[in-house]
Amino acid sequence: MALRNRIFSTDHRTIARQYFFLSLIAVIFGVVLSILMRFHLVYPAAQVKWFEWLWPVKASGGVMTPELYLSLMTLHGTIMVFFVLTLAPLNAFGNLVLPQQLGATQMAFPRLNMLSFWTTVVSFLLLIASFTCQDGGPLSGWTAYPPLSALGAIAGPGQGLGQTLWFFSIGVFCIAATLTSINFIATVIELRDPAMRMMQMPLPCWNWFVTAILSLLSFPVLLAAGILILLDRLAGTGFFLPSGGGSPLLWQHLFWFFGHPEVYIAILPGMGIVSHIVSVFSRRPIFGYRAMVYSTIAIAVLGLLVWGHHMFISGLSPYSAIAFSVLTMAIGAPSAVKTLNWIATLWGSRPELNTAMLFCLGFVSIFVTGGLSGLFLGQPQIDAYFHDTYFVVAHFHMIMGIAALFGIFAATFYWFPLMFGRKLNERLGKLHFYLTFILAYGTFVPMHFAGFAGNPRRYADFTTFEFLAPVLPLQKGITHSAFTLAAVQVIFLANLFWSMRRGEVIVWTGDTETWQRSHTPTR
Amino acid sequence: MATLTHPDSLKSDGAPPPFFPEPPTGGGGDDSDRNRPERGNSRSAAFIGIVVMMCASVMTFSALLSAMVVRRGLNGTDWHHLTLPSILWWNTGILILSSVAIDVARRLLRRGRRQEFNYWWTAGTLMGTWFLIGQIVAWKQLAEHGFTLIGNQHSAFFYVLTWAHAAHVVGALVGVFYVEYRALRFRLGPAGRTWVDVSALFWHFLDVLWLFLMAIFVFWA
Repeated sequence: MALRNRIFSTDHRTIARQYFFLSLIAVIFGVVLSILMRFHLVYPAAQVKWFEWLWPVKASGGVMTPELYLSLMTLHGTIMVFFVLTLAPLNAFGNLVLPQQLGATQMAFPRLNMLSFWTTVVSFLLLIASFTCQDGGPLSGWTAYPPLSALGAIAGPGQGLGQTLWFFSIGVFCIAATLTSINFIATVIELRDPAMRMMQMPLPCWNWFVTAILSLLSFPVLLAAGILILLDRLAGTGFFLPSGGGSPLLWQHLFWFFGHPEVYIAILPGMGIVSHIVSVFSRRPIFGYRAMVYSTIAIAVLGLLVWGHHMFISGLSPYSAIAFSVLTMAIGAPSAVKTLNWIATLWGSRPELNTAMLFCLGFVSIFVTGGLSGLFLGQPQIDAYFHDTYFVVAHFHMIMGIAALFGIFAATFYWFPLMFGRKLNERLGKLHFYLTFILAYGTFVPMHFAGFAGNPRRYADFTTFEFLAPVLPLQKGITHSAFTLAAVQVIFLANLFWSMRRGEVIVWTGDTETWQRSHTPTR
Repeated sequence: MATLTHPDSLKSDGAPPPFFPEPPTGGGGDDSDRNRPERGNSRSAAFIGIVVMMCASVMTFSALLSAMVVRRGLNGTDWHHLTLPSILWWNTGILILSSVAIDVARRLLRRGRRQEFNYWWTAGTLMGTWFLIGQIVAWKQLAEHGFTLIGNQHSAFFYVLTWAHAAHVVGALVGVFYVEYRALRFRLGPAGRTWVDVSALFWHFLDVLWLFLMAIFVFWA
């Protein structure tokens, strides 16, 4: 009975920990995939014994086939976007902290909360199952553009059952995400302390609230698109197939109407967390609270209107491209407001530079670096050159991957006592931060230069192109940096599992909102 | 200090801020929620939840409808006009009547007339089920006339939209039948009455959604 209560728990903190560990498993899986990809990119002919042991057909002789590379890429993208960047900042830390910061004891619908978690687990298992299919895992990328993804097995290896399972996984995830957003929105509106007005909510709550609204508006659209494409695949309709009178571009519109808000679903909670931690450890209230709230809302509203900037080279009308471009540039304004406010909060303060705070500063730095390359990509003319190059890979890994991950790290270090009643080790944490910070820049900044040189992305092997010969040493450097970056994360894992059992039993002071109300965390 | 400190905690009179909102009153004549005040199943939370749920449904249907708009604008060669089977009009009428019955029942319950509530709610439930069966008959009739999922884009969208609506109806019927189950045993306490109101609201939403879909099929597509 006790075990059942622990597994099928309706308690928001237990569910938060479940989400946390689910995304921890997912991120380990995703990182391993990316390591394999980076290895294959620079040593495509290397014969590795255990590749053959893992994939007897897809890597016979120990050499990865291009299809295997593409399915690794698809799984890496899908796992990271859905199961790490969506789950960890919103579902894990949102569930953990939101009720407590609002002065509630529970989420609005605890059983629905449990249902969303287990639906997410089903989605994750479906995704893993898709990878182990006989004819190869899905290889359409996380965007799964038709027509190839809509045709079925006839389109080539990996487009059969693997791709179908992938779509089912994403459909199930959409349902889970919608249920979660319903819960978050109802919690913020209904279970807020009666004495707390909306404009008095802590900033993380605001950001989770806005993120939940974005989820609510975007995931159902992806679900609709997924139903249509599954009908194309399984029932023979032609919604996205030119041969059936349909249009592949229609998928891109529906997908990116979800896909772009998804970027903000990943990053907005991180912004809220950073605002909170920066203000706590600068020992002063955040500068420009109202501006922070309004800029969050502005980013969300604009984020819903700019999906077309992913389609500049898809044959979009130049007129609509201009509209999308201008709106995209406009996101720079609220983003700048946020950056300014973080710096203004820090300005002249005597910040306590612990690991959580360091990760926040790292977040601001990487957010700016990654955001600036977005200004290039937001212009149709420049995007025409950059779109299929490593410049885009560098951009979204910086802004969506590493920046959001730094937000997750900051939250982990800050709210770890709330999860396990103990603190993470500071010394190991700082070591982990500095190495991660340097190596993250070392991995992703050189990718911009590869993009300048026209290095195409999503290619399994570019060592044979003569014009890319000068880029190859750079790519090798990126691979080595990425390997070290991944290895450094072992410090974090060791810290996590060690501190869970043996960490210092202490909580922060200074942030009364969360801690005064917190109950003794259950272990 | 607006962001970090609770306004009440700044008060110097020493009164601690209310840590938790008033526990939702789920009990009083109701067997399920009496001793669990912190489940969060308060009445207004349920209403907010269902309204937010409706927003999600609206987004799904907007996506499907906008796909239909785009698809129709692409080329006209394989967009054959669909002749709607006449049973759809009967279904529409029945759905409206079921909505009326359910709302009459809801109002009767508010005045404490439980016996009459049971009659009207049962009528609404049966008509809702009848609507679902009618939809299946309509799909059968369309298929017999050659309007299948594949081949004709108009009928493909018709099927997808009506299936999506039917899936919602099935979900709503679960709620409606749950109320029916409780009502027939006269076990509708205050928490059960939240079920009544919430499922009635969702049922009306599906009614309006169906009228909108019918208007699109009849006047536009």
